[in-house]
Amino acid sequence: MTRTIAVNHLARVEGHGGIKVVLDGGTIERLEFDIFEGLRLFEGLVVGRPADEIPAIVSRICAICSVGHVVTALKALENALGVRVSPRARMLRDLSFQGQNIESHALHVFVLALPDVLGHPSVISLAAEAPEVVGMALRLKKLGNSVQEVTGGRAVHPVNHVIGGLGRFPTLDEMLALRRDLEAGVEDCKRAADVLAGIRMPEFVSEPIRVAALVPEDGAFFFGSEMALSTGERIPVADYRSLTNERVVPHSTAKHSAHRGKSYMVGSLARLTLHGDRIGGLARETWERIGLDLPSRNIVANNVAQAIEMIYSVEQALSLVNRLLEEGLEPEEPASFRMRASSGAAATEVPRGTLFHSYTLDAGGKIVAADVITPTAQNLLNAEDQMRATVRDAKGATDDEIRHRLEIVARAYDPCISCSVHVVRA
Amino acid sequence: MKPRVGIFGLSGCWGEQIVILNCEDQLLQMVGALEIVDFLAGSSANDEESPLDLALVEGSVGSEREEKAVKRIRERSTLLVACGSCACFGGIAGMDARMSRKALVESVYGGEGSAFDAHPHRPLSDYAKVDYALVGCPIEKDEFVQAVSSLLVGDIPLPPTTPVCHECKMLERDCLLISKGLPCAGPVSAAGCGARCPGFNVPCIGCRGPVVEANLESLREVLIEKGLSDEAIRDKLRTFAAPVIEWHRPEGAA
Repeated sequence: MTRTIAVNHLARVEGHGGIKVVLDGGTIERLEFDIFEGLRLFEGLVVGRPADEIPAIVSRICAICSVGHVVTALKALENALGVRVSPRARMLRDLSFQGQNIESHALHVFVLALPDVLGHPSVISLAAEAPEVVGMALRLKKLGNSVQEVTGGRAVHPVNHVIGGLGRFPTLDEMLALRRDLEAGVEDCKRAADVLAGIRMPEFVSEPIRVAALVPEDGAFFFGSEMALSTGERIPVADYRSLTNERVVPHSTAKHSAHRGKSYMVGSLARLTLHGDRIGGLARETWERIGLDLPSRNIVANNVAQAIEMIYSVEQALSLVNRLLEEGLEPEEPASFRMRASSGAAATEVPRGTLFHSYTLDAGGKIVAADVITPTAQNLLNAEDQMRATVRDAKGATDDEIRHRLEIVARAYDPCISCSVHVVRA
Repeated sequence: MKPRVGIFGLSGCWGEQIVILNCEDQLLQMVGALEIVDFLAGSSANDEESPLDLALVEGSVGSEREEKAVKRIRERSTLLVACGSCACFGGIAGMDARMSRKALVESVYGGEGSAFDAHPHRPLSDYAKVDYALVGCPIEKDEFVQAVSSLLVGDIPLPPTTPVCHECKMLERDCLLISKGLPCAGPVSAAGCGARCPGFNVPCIGCRGPVVEANLESLREVLIEKGLSDEAIRDKLRTFAAPVIEWHRPEGAA
């Protein structure tokens, strides 16, 4: 006798997905993390378009990681065209990534995931019970948006990042106001740390997690040119396809990634597991206070890792703003370049993990081929593995409890399903 | 009784729902003034059946599943607002491709791609009556809050009737198109963004769709003078709203 446990339409995630498990007694016959997002076919649509139009187009893959898509596309195109951006422009891009990380993690941890832990169906009902917690989360979220607005001109789909640098440098007044906001943000992070220290993280699954993340370069935690794996292997970003090995699966419009036949996880938990030694300050204190031991066998710990990273990004943003204020904000034209037939790949760490972009250009600078591999696409297979372990470890639980746990596991990855679907064949 | 509101996402980047959540200063007030009964992105306890006073729908329609969804939302709701350029115009996923539909799907998914429920992206208005189109990619926070306020007191808000170019001129900015020769879509694109991009020395890319009575032909002539090809101009101007911007070659054109 088989029975099915299904989450028909996963809530509190971006995009459309569901989970289906077919069980025969205690044995899993089939488990699928379904993706039924419409096809948007970005990699095909950009073919023939000039390189300078690409960042604004691929930005629309995903609103919440839009800075990530724009800057990763720019880095890939700049690698292709041999463009070097100035150190200050690189710092402003780094700053925009800290803003993206603050906003995305504040949203996910406190608005989308925390209601699970505190037994609420949504942040709306949570706001009635704990308005000061929700108020603090919204202030931090707004802070992340302010950082992205000052650097990119807009929080969703930034406009100021261009090939070679920035359309315009921020003004002194904008940076001074941002510094004040970030200083207030550090105080909110202390409140966030108190909230987090008082929460008991769900522990219903114990399964090793293989992780991968970019090795931070030149002090930028989210930028790099080489991937590290928990197996000890290193893979240059230019060879990213040997890591991601995508294949099309029937139940999903997102492709699945596996390295040497095994799934891997990217995201905050991966970054802290592999490169957490680079994190100090209040983020480090909070980490120790919460007592998160890494490597973890509990995938739900990714939500805790996100919270620690959010605090790190507020502190790091403040430090970048101070450095930029010291170095001065004299406007700088974007680096000049000539179009040429070329190809280039780049990767960055966006809130949900490593994002790869690669482009081939013709002599006139038009796109011949494009490839975008998002963190969620890489995480799908790993999420299925962790869901299998969740069902395995759920002895004695009711089907309703299992269903709820599967949702929590799915949300632990902070899946960005709208983002995951436009992956090109390898 | 509080107005009953549903917030829905079809094919898109979820930018409109993110912008709604980005109204941090108004969010708790809005949540207090409205009864948000169906919001899958924000809640796991949703009422998917009962009638709505207002449905906010983002994203384009790119599958039969989504056609059914938008028709169902229309049946349920007194007012339906298309939020963002995907919902209003088909958006970026509806842009022109340099290949056939079949080749486009195969270029991304190989032969397996044909099995998916998917068709070219179209605006909501192809499948259901839209009471108000809130344009933008993404929508502007202020316009959103103002539009919802108006709708809930029984007014239909006024859509923008001037181009981005007008806002730029009011700010006395140097013109990117005329002075710097950059291909700016400001003269034909709907205002309301405060001419954001030109403020960063970046030409307008028309993300808010065409302004009413847009003079595409005149801009085309200017851009041809600047050295752009007809094809490049067409691609550029139809990036966000291809399904609603007709591109006629003028008589006698090459």
